[in-house]
Amino acid sequence: MDEQKTISVMVVDDHPLWRDGVARDLAERGFRVVATAPDAPAAVRIARAVRPDVVLMDLNLGELSGVDATAMITGELPETRVLVLSASGEHSDVLEAVKAGASGYLVKSASAEELVDAVNRTAAGDAVFTAGLAGLVLGEYRRMAATPDEAVDKPQLTDRETEVLRLVAKGLTARQIANRLVISHRTVENHVQSTLRKLQLHNRVELARYAIEHGLDAEPEV
Amino acid sequence: MREMPTVPGMVARDDPVAPLWRGTVALRVVTFLFAAVNVTIHSDEYLRPWLGWTVLGVMGLWSAFTVRSYSAERGRNWWVVGSDLAVACGLMSLSPFILTDEQYLRLVPLVTTIWACEPAVAVGALGGQVAGALAGGVLGLSTYLNRGEMTVDVVRDVVLLVGAGFVVGMASTTARRTAVRLARALRTEAATAERERLARSIHDGVLQVLARVRKRGLELGGEAAELAELAGEQEVALRSLVAAAPEESTVDGEADLRPALQLLATRRFEVSTPATRVLLPAAAVAELASLVREALSNVDEHAGEDARAWVLLEDLGDEVVLSVRDDGPGIPEGRIEDAAAEGRMGIAKSIRGRVAALGGALELQTGPGEGTEWEVRVFRAGDGGAG
Repeated sequence: MDEQKTISVMVVDDHPLWRDGVARDLAERGFRVVATAPDAPAAVRIARAVRPDVVLMDLNLGELSGVDATAMITGELPETRVLVLSASGEHSDVLEAVKAGASGYLVKSASAEELVDAVNRTAAGDAVFTAGLAGLVLGEYRRMAATPDEAVDKPQLTDRETEVLRLVAKGLTARQIANRLVISHRTVENHVQSTLRKLQLHNRVELARYAIEHGLDAEPEV
Repeated sequence: MREMPTVPGMVARDDPVAPLWRGTVALRVVTFLFAAVNVTIHSDEYLRPWLGWTVLGVMGLWSAFTVRSYSAERGRNWWVVGSDLAVACGLMSLSPFILTDEQYLRLVPLVTTIWACEPAVAVGALGGQVAGALAGGVLGLSTYLNRGEMTVDVVRDVVLLVGAGFVVGMASTTARRTAVRLARALRTEAATAERERLARSIHDGVLQVLARVRKRGLELGGEAAELAELAGEQEVALRSLVAAAPEESTVDGEADLRPALQLLATRRFEVSTPATRVLLPAAAVAELASLVREALSNVDEHAGEDARAWVLLEDLGDEVVLSVRDDGPGIPEGRIEDAAAEGRMGIAKSIRGRVAALGGALELQTGPGEGTEWEVRVFRAGDGGAG
């Protein structure tokens, strides 16, 4: 509980019902809810000021989406982690958010215990995967491998990473995977995390390359 | 079209018959040059050469005017086209004052010659096949009156004039109808896209509320927990529906396997797919979807009501891998074989049969306490040899 108390959380959601509900749930369980925000611009602005440990991010925010806010927040605040909390399931926008820098995804109907666990793991730097997200990430690596583009170094999964990700997508818990592959729980977590990190790094390189090609590489605002 | 900014305005704003008008303009220029040569050759013998040259001059001016008019949409109207027809007939009727009787006998062309056929084409472009044919008829009648007798040449001219007006008119009508249909299709498409966007935002709102109700209800317990369960079921059903994008089959009869699987998701059954389409022949899509449905109902029957299952769809390019895993007690060793030996239509037989029919491969992993996992591999056509 001591550890939980130190974790500061910000909740971004356009539905007040949900925003306040989650904030209350987390506060009741010992998290410090330092801010809430109803839309992406406010989320970015407030996150800059309060620098929370974890941002719970809804993706359907209107004009500027949760994906944009995720990219801006994780780009500017390396210490802050974003956990996507979406009601509408594992769509491509969840994949986009993860590529933009989110550390994981949880469906909104997850139980309070699952949410608490996910926030703790996110704060600790782990990746929070659902089976659906693992399926999306696997698909994304394969899509990149199948797209002919010699200009870039495409990220690839190691055999072990593919194996782990497939088991996550088939609903096995980290512990079950560790047992099946006879590796440590920590190693499983590291593999999962690594699949995300490679994807995010590639995404950042791609964005930078796009910016340079299109003459957008002026001094970045800090 | 102003209220439809998403529709490419070009299609509706541009005259769909514009190419026909460009052709009309070209015809006018070419036929005028022909008429100029004709007058130059025959003017020496004309009854009144000065009148021949004057008519040619008027034809030149009128050609310039109509070329300018027909080049812009504003000038393509009944006033200009009607005048065009009248001017052609009028100038033609001056022929008896220009050509000598001897020239008439030699069948020297009237002073307006083929220049006069252009109004039939213009009327056809503007008013469709009936108007075009009528204009051709008027010009043909005028030719007959100015020739003074019905010869084979005159009949041929009449047929050609009526035919030209009719054919161009038909092309014009078809082009207009196609343009109207295209505009309507584009409008429908834009409206559908807008409705989908609205539906998404409404669905999101409903999902939010259902998720919240379920969460809070379970915490409150008792009767609220029952309501929470109901809300939870509807939440999953709606989420699957939203995830399953409308089916879109390609021209060669392939379909996306993802929507068919996503609709099978429930609170206990999770479906994982790539973010991009997984295309297979439509028949294979239907077969695989019913195979998964069967495997899931088998989970319901044999793995207990609390068992969960995960469906994973992977696209490896030359093959598609579909796995269904449950966390039930598993199938004890030998039971599948027993079932088959006893002649009961076991799940294994049915699934094996379906996979074999698709030319795929099936792998079954199970054991007491380990759950059951089916893995189906379907090879894409063109790589058929691989399987």
